[in-house]
Amino acid sequence: MFLALRELRHSKARYALIMVIMLLVSFLVLFVTGLAKGLAYANVSAIENMPTNYYVVQGDAEHKFRRSQLNESNLKDVRAIVGNDNATPLGMQMSTITATDLDVKADVTFFAVDMTGPIAPKVVEGEAITNDTLGSVIVDRKLEESGIKIGSVISDQQTGLTFKVAGFVENNSYSHTPVVYINAQDWQELTQGVSQKGTTVHPASFNLIAVHATSDQATSLQTGLKGVDVITQKEAISSIPGYSEEQGSLLMMIAFLFVISAVVLAVFFYVITIQKTSQFGILKAMGTKTSYLAWSVLGQVLLLSVSSLVVSLLMIGGMTMILPESMPFQLNTPTLILTSSLFVGMSLIGSLISVLKVAKVDALEAIGRVGA
Amino acid sequence: MTTAKLVMKQVTKTYGDGDSTLSVLNKLDFKVNEGEFVAVLGPSGSGKSTFLSTAGALLSPTSGEILIDGESIADKNKAELTEFRLHKIGFMFQNAQLLPYLKVEEQLLLVARIAKLSPSEAKKRAAYLLKRLGIWERRNHYPEKLSGGEKQRVAIARAWMNNPAILFADEPTASLDFKRGKEVVQMLADEVKSEGKAAVMVTHDERMLEWCDRILYLQDGILVER
Repeated sequence: MFLALRELRHSKARYALIMVIMLLVSFLVLFVTGLAKGLAYANVSAIENMPTNYYVVQGDAEHKFRRSQLNESNLKDVRAIVGNDNATPLGMQMSTITATDLDVKADVTFFAVDMTGPIAPKVVEGEAITNDTLGSVIVDRKLEESGIKIGSVISDQQTGLTFKVAGFVENNSYSHTPVVYINAQDWQELTQGVSQKGTTVHPASFNLIAVHATSDQATSLQTGLKGVDVITQKEAISSIPGYSEEQGSLLMMIAFLFVISAVVLAVFFYVITIQKTSQFGILKAMGTKTSYLAWSVLGQVLLLSVSSLVVSLLMIGGMTMILPESMPFQLNTPTLILTSSLFVGMSLIGSLISVLKVAKVDALEAIGRVGA
Repeated sequence: MTTAKLVMKQVTKTYGDGDSTLSVLNKLDFKVNEGEFVAVLGPSGSGKSTFLSTAGALLSPTSGEILIDGESIADKNKAELTEFRLHKIGFMFQNAQLLPYLKVEEQLLLVARIAKLSPSEAKKRAAYLLKRLGIWERRNHYPEKLSGGEKQRVAIARAWMNNPAILFADEPTASLDFKRGKEVVQMLADEVKSEGKAAVMVTHDERMLEWCDRILYLQDGILVER
């Protein structure tokens, strides 16, 4: 590091420039990664936060939740295999709501769940609702931003049904819309348009069954039941419309940024190394080991990439503090560590070509040279 | 008792193969004793660089034997030769070839670091050499701030830093005017005498020879006296 550090000291401007580039690239990498994670979370947090790990959907629904339709007899079959408590039906419908007294129109997704089952909403403010409460809903906190409070009355635009907001949940989004939890009885009204006072019991139908199962049980579900598909939570998430496309394009940007940072570094250090060929020859003639010189180059790359990474981490930290709440941005520690080490790793890969060049320099070049 | 610092016996260096071979060094015999400062002259193309590279353990001879400080370098591999050069051989190059991003004192400390000398010892030795060569005041300057003569003086100090057995100088006066060139050669000669070492200077400048103990000419692959 003796050589590496002193060279940085001597050519400050040159190395400052490359550091700025690295800083910008690493900042962008972190930002886009945070955005991708944030968007993903905003997209599917309702599913991601469910404790269930398998989902039973209709066989011809191509794993898409809203396209699937199951009924009580399916539920009975599933429960026969995994047990009563480990399977619960879920109905979902996208809709638009308006709120009385408020100039609000919002797209939401209704989730009809068993309020005593495993995927019942975890209320963070207000009161929970039971399976018998009529006309009450639990909504995602995101709706609070549009002015909806506990006690507000929202109405479904399509059916005109009105619901009172009883409580809030957090981080419950589906396909970028806040989730509105209703119980099975209100679900009947919503989907079949029967008056709120009517008590007619229809054969209940819903979209899917959320299951908590071992992989063995999942296999026997798949083989034992006809006309249904058993999918994992991951598969369920990636088949949410738009999810894989959105994540795919962001991932491509991140991958390109990684490659760009490696190539920029590779070119920069290669040019500098070529410039210094005669110096390396001199050093080798004087008895410097190739490994010493190689570590000097790697040390410089490491120093530059790590320090620009640290600065951009600080910048990201500062930025998340001023970002508006509605901005989907999320960076957790494992993601940060993974992204940072990938960035440093790519920088080192980029410097390999220079290290090879250093290794190839012959000490003989030092003798009989007139040039500097 | 005088001991030989460099012995070359029947050294041949041949380039090319098959019919088109060129023997740059042809059964060359050469010996440099302790305290001796030898100049090797020859026109360009006479093989001075090859001679210096071979004697300086940078290039393996095609045949023949080379002993430096009593040690044969024939059986050493590349890494061992590097290590050997570090401790036994000092080099001075054309235009000094100092590293542009190291201050004068650091040029010397680097060499000591590579040779794993203790930092305090290295500092002491660097100060001693820089003072002797009259560039102590310039120790915190970058090479770009030094004159050509000062640069070569730093190069002399750097070459002596690790206490080598022998010093090889490749045209040390090439980029200097007569007066500065003379000063540098004189200092080189003084160092050889006072440190009890040996030095071989390759040059084409016949005006720089008054402090040399012996003057040899490289001709047809061997060294001859005139």
